[in-house]
Amino acid sequence: MQPLFPATLLVLVPLLPLVGAICTVLLGRRLGPRAHLPAVAGIAGAAAVALILLLTTYAEVGHGGAHSEPVRPVEMITTLWQWASVEGTPAGEGLTSGAQQGFSIPVTLRLDPLTATLLVIITGVGLLVAIYSIGYLHDDPGYPRFFALVSMFVFSMSMLVAASNFLLVYVFWEAVGACSYLLIGFWYSKPEAARAAKKAFLVNRVGDFGLAIATFLLWMTYGTLNFHDTPNSAIEGILSQTRLADPGGIVGGVIGTAICLLLLLAACGKSAQMPLHVWLPDAMEGPTPASALIHAATMVTAGIYLITRCAPLFVACPGALAMVSIVGATTALVAALIATVQNDLKRVLAYSTISQLGYMFASLGTGTMLGFTAAIFHLVTHAFFKALLFLGAGSVMHAMGGVIDMRRFGGLRKVMPITAATFLIGSLALSGVPPFAGFFSKDEILATLHAKAYPSAHAQEHGDLPVAAGADRSPLHLAAYSSDAHAATPAGAAVGLDSLNTPAVWQTLFWMSLVTAGLTAFYTFRAVFMTFTGPVRVPPEAGHHAHESPPVMTWPLIILAVPSVLAGWLLFSTDALAHFLSATPSLWAESVRHTATPLEFHWDLAIQGTLAAAIGIAVAAIGHLGRRSDLPQMERYLGPLEPLFANKFYFDQIYQALIVKPLEGLALLAALFDRSVIDGLVDGVARIPVALGSLVRNMQSGLLQRYALAGVMGVLAIVYALAWQLRG
Amino acid sequence: MTTSLETFLLIAPEIALVVAALVVFLAGAFANLQSGWPVAVAGIAIAMFLSGGTPDDGGTVTSGPVSIDGFSLGVRWLVLVLGGILALVQSGDTFRTATSRSGTALRWGTCEEAGTFLLLLAGLSLVGVANDLVLLFAGLELVSIPTYILLALKRIDARGQEASLKYFFLSLVASALFLYALVCLYGIGGSTSLAEISARLRSPDDRLAGMATVLLPVALGMAMSGAAFRLAAVPMHFYAPDVYEGTSPGNAALLSTLPKVAGIVVLLRLLALGTGGAFGMAGAQAAVAGPAATAYMTLFWQLAAILAGLTMTVGNVMALLQTNLRRLLACSSIAHAGYLLVGVATAAAADSALSGRLVPGTDTSWTSGLGGSSATLFYLATYVLATAGVFAALTYLGHRWPEWSATAGSRPPREEISTVDDLNGLSGTNPVAACSIALFLLSLAGIPPLPGFWGKLSLAITALEVDWNSSATWGSRRAAFLALAILLVINAAIAAAYYLRIIAAMYFRSTKRGVQADGGIAAGLAMLICMALLIVVTFQPRGLFAASSRAGRVISAPTGTLVAPQVVSP
Repeated sequence: MQPLFPATLLVLVPLLPLVGAICTVLLGRRLGPRAHLPAVAGIAGAAAVALILLLTTYAEVGHGGAHSEPVRPVEMITTLWQWASVEGTPAGEGLTSGAQQGFSIPVTLRLDPLTATLLVIITGVGLLVAIYSIGYLHDDPGYPRFFALVSMFVFSMSMLVAASNFLLVYVFWEAVGACSYLLIGFWYSKPEAARAAKKAFLVNRVGDFGLAIATFLLWMTYGTLNFHDTPNSAIEGILSQTRLADPGGIVGGVIGTAICLLLLLAACGKSAQMPLHVWLPDAMEGPTPASALIHAATMVTAGIYLITRCAPLFVACPGALAMVSIVGATTALVAALIATVQNDLKRVLAYSTISQLGYMFASLGTGTMLGFTAAIFHLVTHAFFKALLFLGAGSVMHAMGGVIDMRRFGGLRKVMPITAATFLIGSLALSGVPPFAGFFSKDEILATLHAKAYPSAHAQEHGDLPVAAGADRSPLHLAAYSSDAHAATPAGAAVGLDSLNTPAVWQTLFWMSLVTAGLTAFYTFRAVFMTFTGPVRVPPEAGHHAHESPPVMTWPLIILAVPSVLAGWLLFSTDALAHFLSATPSLWAESVRHTATPLEFHWDLAIQGTLAAAIGIAVAAIGHLGRRSDLPQMERYLGPLEPLFANKFYFDQIYQALIVKPLEGLALLAALFDRSVIDGLVDGVARIPVALGSLVRNMQSGLLQRYALAGVMGVLAIVYALAWQLRG
Repeated sequence: MTTSLETFLLIAPEIALVVAALVVFLAGAFANLQSGWPVAVAGIAIAMFLSGGTPDDGGTVTSGPVSIDGFSLGVRWLVLVLGGILALVQSGDTFRTATSRSGTALRWGTCEEAGTFLLLLAGLSLVGVANDLVLLFAGLELVSIPTYILLALKRIDARGQEASLKYFFLSLVASALFLYALVCLYGIGGSTSLAEISARLRSPDDRLAGMATVLLPVALGMAMSGAAFRLAAVPMHFYAPDVYEGTSPGNAALLSTLPKVAGIVVLLRLLALGTGGAFGMAGAQAAVAGPAATAYMTLFWQLAAILAGLTMTVGNVMALLQTNLRRLLACSSIAHAGYLLVGVATAAAADSALSGRLVPGTDTSWTSGLGGSSATLFYLATYVLATAGVFAALTYLGHRWPEWSATAGSRPPREEISTVDDLNGLSGTNPVAACSIALFLLSLAGIPPLPGFWGKLSLAITALEVDWNSSATWGSRRAAFLALAILLVINAAIAAAYYLRIIAAMYFRSTKRGVQADGGIAAGLAMLICMALLIVVTFQPRGLFAASSRAGRVISAPTGTLVAPQVVSP
């Protein structure tokens, strides 16, 4: 028996935005300037429901205090209907257990702490963005279309995090991609926007391909795609409590590593990690509210969600886990370096998003409880302050008549004080300055990496059970015996990747992250100083309305500024989020749970991180504080590195030369072949019946006698042939 | 063979049709009845009521020359439903010249038309229930003669008369050939009863074999030709384009459906002579089939297969070049006769191995247990539905105005819709008709998931199932049916070209000429009924599969062990 109350509410979260989207599509033109009403109402309803769900789930988990009693896993499964169902084959035909069991895709929603947290973020930020857009897009011809798409996106994204089945995850993974495509190309008549949308879609397809193959492999390996246990079925769900309670339940080895790497590829596509990060900066061609919602706060975190959800799978494959961290830390550093020389305010923020997502990946890759919760913690705080920064940038852009190049304006703190103040708060949070939100979450990530890089130090520090237990049953160890138990392939086959899991590697990653922290502070404050300090300069495009944005736009900024200041300290000091998330079945799994460490505030790391941020801000202040933003400042000190950063490490050019051009050549060849050879063949074949037809037509003389004669002769011929054949 | 009261009870629906026909004739002549069609529809409804529910499984009731089994009941229902639709089409299909725009002047024939049409239906239904050569032939003639009259009544211009005369003379030739075939069968069986002929044909008597080598090719060749004329199959197909073009759309609807049902029913009844399925044979009688029966079946499938291959190809390649709509549809109907013959050939090739799969009552999946005859009947039903629908739509559309501007003098007379170009831009002027014509044509082309696709699929699958377990060596039966299935698919591809041309004309070309839609509401209703049935079968083909499977199983009932064909020199 499932309690009716949360089940119905859970359905409402995606349903209300969907209804809103449909209403907007149907009534959009009739509503005219009020076309935002259904979408805003739908998302607001969903946000309220999501909040109730969060509180319900929180009450269910209970407040653990000082880990007085072990956390129970909390999840609620609601199966709405069977989407597809194929009966199984009788056993004993040499098929996998899955084929014998048949194949069914239930449309199942789940509610657990992870989902509840993300639902609140999605609907909450979605609501603020939707309200903000009322002002931002007030006279755009595509006004109703925008709200329909945002509403549709909120629906798809909520379904993505609420789905309890890999196939549904795939479906909505694609759906959010489609919404993102449509929103990037919102101003489709602008060639750059159309191109950026296409690029985003195609690069994402590479990741989606990974998810598709991973789904196939998962089905082959586990015989089901459900996260949860299916009633009346012997097969345990992949991420169900029964399987996760069993230490050997998850398949490691080559297959496990392959699945994890493919999932990582998918996550890289959606979360814009190297080498698939190239689409996100270009995606800034879309409307700024869409960038804030989709390309900063929610959709790009789908990769983080996917890996967190699949945490037990990754923990069983330490090689893949190390890859996650390596990809994340590298992306974080590279994106931060690129961000230092960008002059487009939105692009600075875009690279910063890539960089911060890289942080989260680095944290996930540690494979410890702290790593996963820290990543989600950072996801939450980042959603607030990055949405704030994007909306602030949008506010600037709105006031500047669409100009976003930081060299063309300056000193705006006098023109738009609210935007300036909130943007500063967001920047402080992003830079990791205490006590703003970003400081705490970033500190946790650094602590996680530090623990992985210098395990002995931490072991001494704690000196007791948890880490000792972790060392005793290291993930590597786990993978070895789980693969012995389940996979036919030897565990040693994945050793190539597993060898990455050494302290030296982790130490490198830790220091990379620390450097990135400094760079983050630098580029953030470079943008702040260039935009808001110095002499007031306004581009001609702004005309006369270079003024503060209307209240409908500034209020979301103010609302978002509050959690950007407070969320970090609140969630950290109470340890509420980590405790809450650890009741998620995926994180409750035996292999993850044993890595849990008690809450600890690392003064040394905090000081290191703050120092890095302070250095970054100081350097930015030296270069840009109070100066005219159109003069080159820091860039001239970079020397030969400047073109490397400015050209984004030449990723686009390399892809163009290595992938796009050869494919275009191949396509050209194929087209030529199709037009000349295939079409020629087909046309030639098509001429045969016509020629036959004109031959037959000659017999249609219209003369009765000839018809009769031909008929009778035909009969005689047949009779004769038959008689002849019968005689032998 | 005794005729009793029971015999008349068994053919009560046919009698009802005849009575209704008499009522129409008399009322038209003496009671000044304006239109005979309402009475005709009522008569068909009464006949439907009298024929009761669906056919029972397996039971055969024989009385005198009449035998009621699943097959004849299936045929009767097909005829009555089709008859109802065609009656609606025919009622709107009056020949109107430009001078009599209202058309009232020439509506005098309506009672005669309706009565003749009812007689035609009665004849066709009798063909289904006939258990005797004489009744079979009488039924066939009761189909042919009303057809001549209808052809002659509808159009009184030169082309109409030419068409009806052509049909008349060639039909006579075909009837003569068919009668000759019946004589040969009588010679083999020594009786006019089909059951007795079958029993004799199947008896393991070696003396028969000698006679069979002489008589069987003649009998089968002639019978097949007689049926081929009704099916419009090679070598008796020549008349179809000329006659369809010359007559009215309503008559074309009739010609392209009812005679084809007759042809298929006759062929399957004659096929049952070899299998013995329709004659309630049981026990020792059913267990063995003699060499004559074996030779009969072999000749049957070979003949049907050759004609099927030729007919499909000839019909389709001819249709490619047609610009006149009714000529095009005539050629298309030739092609469909070819597809139907594929099913007949498959049914004739069904041996004990295949029939063994036909376990009554257990075939929940339609692919298993659908023999050749069932597939043929299914295809026949989907074909007549779509074809009647197209002609109903053409009847409904009627005429259109030629291009004309006010400055060019007086308005020229209306033109009948006759060429493909006349349908240009129909989607704009009459979207419902355009949509339904497109659906009918797509079904005829065999585009999934329309019924025509299910039909072609089951024909191809059953053809491929012949000798499934043996290898397809050159000259083997499996190779022949493999080739036939491939030819069917190729032909379906060719056919798509000309069907799509019509659809393209309706949807992708524009016109300034309006369509009259003066063919009457009844024809439009018939069109909509056809479309509704088509859509039902599209989404739930299982019902029609089950019905045709029940009817077809009677023909291809388990045949016992067929004795290997022996070559006996006379």
